[in-house]
Amino acid sequence: MQTIKLKLKSEVTSGVAKIPVEVDSLTPDKLFGKTEAEIKAVTVWWGNKEENTGDLFDVSVDGTAGSADEVKIVLDGDLSRVKRIGDGMTAGEIEANGDVDMHCGAMMNGGKITVKGNADCWAGREMHGGDLVIDGDAAANLCAMYRGETTGMTGGKVTVGGNADECVGQYMGGGEIVIKGNARMLAGLNMHGGKIVIEGDAVMPGADMTSGEITVKGTVRDMMPSFKLEGTESIDGAEYKKYSGDLAMTAKKAKGTLYVK
Amino acid sequence: MVEVTDVVCSLCGCVCDDIVVEVEDNKVTKVKRGACSVGKSKLMGHNRIKSPAIRVNGELKDCSYDEAIKKAAEILAASRRPLLYGWSSTVCEADKVGVELAEELGAVIDNTASVCHGPSVLAIQDVGLPSCTLGEVKNRADVIIYWGANPAEAHANHMKRYSYVSKGFWTEEGKKAKKLVVVDVRATKTSKMADVFLQIEQGKDYLVFSALRAILYGHADVVPDEVGGVSKKDLLETAEMMKGAKFGATFFGMGVTHTGARQNNIVNAIQMTRAAHTHTKFTITPMRGHYNVAGINQVCTWETGFPFAVDLTRGYAWYNPGELSATDLLIRQECDAALIIASDPGAHFPGESIKHLAKIPVIQIDPFPNPTTEFADVVFPAAVSGVEAEGNVYRMDNIPIRLRKLIDSEYPEDEAILKRILDEVRAIKEKEGN
Repeated sequence: MQTIKLKLKSEVTSGVAKIPVEVDSLTPDKLFGKTEAEIKAVTVWWGNKEENTGDLFDVSVDGTAGSADEVKIVLDGDLSRVKRIGDGMTAGEIEANGDVDMHCGAMMNGGKITVKGNADCWAGREMHGGDLVIDGDAAANLCAMYRGETTGMTGGKVTVGGNADECVGQYMGGGEIVIKGNARMLAGLNMHGGKIVIEGDAVMPGADMTSGEITVKGTVRDMMPSFKLEGTESIDGAEYKKYSGDLAMTAKKAKGTLYVK
Repeated sequence: MVEVTDVVCSLCGCVCDDIVVEVEDNKVTKVKRGACSVGKSKLMGHNRIKSPAIRVNGELKDCSYDEAIKKAAEILAASRRPLLYGWSSTVCEADKVGVELAEELGAVIDNTASVCHGPSVLAIQDVGLPSCTLGEVKNRADVIIYWGANPAEAHANHMKRYSYVSKGFWTEEGKKAKKLVVVDVRATKTSKMADVFLQIEQGKDYLVFSALRAILYGHADVVPDEVGGVSKKDLLETAEMMKGAKFGATFFGMGVTHTGARQNNIVNAIQMTRAAHTHTKFTITPMRGHYNVAGINQVCTWETGFPFAVDLTRGYAWYNPGELSATDLLIRQECDAALIIASDPGAHFPGESIKHLAKIPVIQIDPFPNPTTEFADVVFPAAVSGVEAEGNVYRMDNIPIRLRKLIDSEYPEDEAILKRILDEVRAIKEKEGN
């Protein structure tokens, strides 16, 4: 097992402008097999210039790894301007100690990311596999798609300890999302596969869904007017109304299921 | 005195092109026909920025164009995350140089669509846009819907030239043979003219679109008795009116792009148009604001593949409104320099964005002083496009129209100023070996 510690230097975020650092080059896959000196020389984008990791982060390496699976990256410092953490990773583990910036876990294929704080927009964007655990809140477009795409998350599991903002799982095609708190407007928008469980409240869930399943354990505000009540069902001992939809997509396409208390 | 006909108005997205003005001693002395009151005011001219200037110790000091070009290029070349914003109230030729400058700098380029019809542009990418020209609306449409738009006050010539009030080839009886539906959260000058006015609850547009779609697809049975403050009876009546149209045209404005579900409202509005297609011909068009906001979207798309909010920092175009749109970047305090052209974020952006703009070096190019001038560090006066300079613009229905030059100007055109800044930036970079 190898642990790579990367601590963002405070001067990176102490200027008048808080320019983000994009760290898609710092995944277990890409750092596996590198020495401390080699890791320091890996470049990351800071605004329109490429910088050496060692110039922006304090770097330390402990232990050895036989594969990327055995690499754990621990990120410390003010991570609120660190974008694309774990972008495209397939193996290993990343632990981010604090709030993280946008696109954390985007295009992820495997491995695990734990965010010990909040995650900004597009966490888990177009994720295909692996585990993403966000202890705090998730901002808008969690597990959604890149602009213009018609498929968002297709696999893996995402757990949010707090609340989630708008459009959770937009265009989701597979995988599972669990929100322990509330979800704002349009969770599961355009969903065509996979499963979303919202333990708290939701607003307009399931709009334009054509397949997949959404369960809202709290209260639904602004229920979509284009869903058909199919009856009731018991889930984990609680009674839920079962709806099919969205009929605004035509009856032929309305194969989504929405469970509401 | 010379009378000039077929003058094109460079104010709003209607781009009226049948205006008649009088010119005497290199001045527009009278607008005789065709323009609305705001268009008239733009053509007649008003207060101008007099000279290029650089801010020294908090005060703008007049300087030469050469000095201002040098200063602007130094600021931009040294920037790690520059923002180039505006572009909607100038011509496509200037916009093209803007994209080139953004590429050279590794900048984010964004335009006023991001605080205007950006949500519409996003929605169009998702589901397309069954649209038509304003000429088709004039000659064919017999059912007109204005949703979240108040053209009687915001696009004063729109109904008269193109829609409800106009008379065309197959609409020779004018409004007598047309139906007008207005959807808004409050009564307006436009809603007072409507056959049907649906007054919806703030932020509930999305639900109302979905209900109309379900009805148009034959599922009125699942729709509840009231949706978003509108009775089912009124929804059924509106759906019947849509179905009965020979040619329906929906126009939508800021009232629906900037409420509740934003871009998803527009996806839903377009999907409602698609649902209407199972019964009759229907079209949908955004009520674009600035006269060439559609044009910068066109230019930016030709050049980068994307219409607004494009980040060129990593040498390729990365597009993401919400992340790279000007207000979001500024609220997040990401930029360390900005060039603002042909727009006024000082008056239109949220307070937090303006606070950050006030902290970083700002370069302004504009014919007119505005609140942005109050914190700009380098200011360039420019010729007024459509009065003192010609060039191509795109009307709200994406029809290209060439602005005419009416009088000579002592000020350079936007395109010329931008080219000089670009040349100077390239000279600095060459010197530094980049």
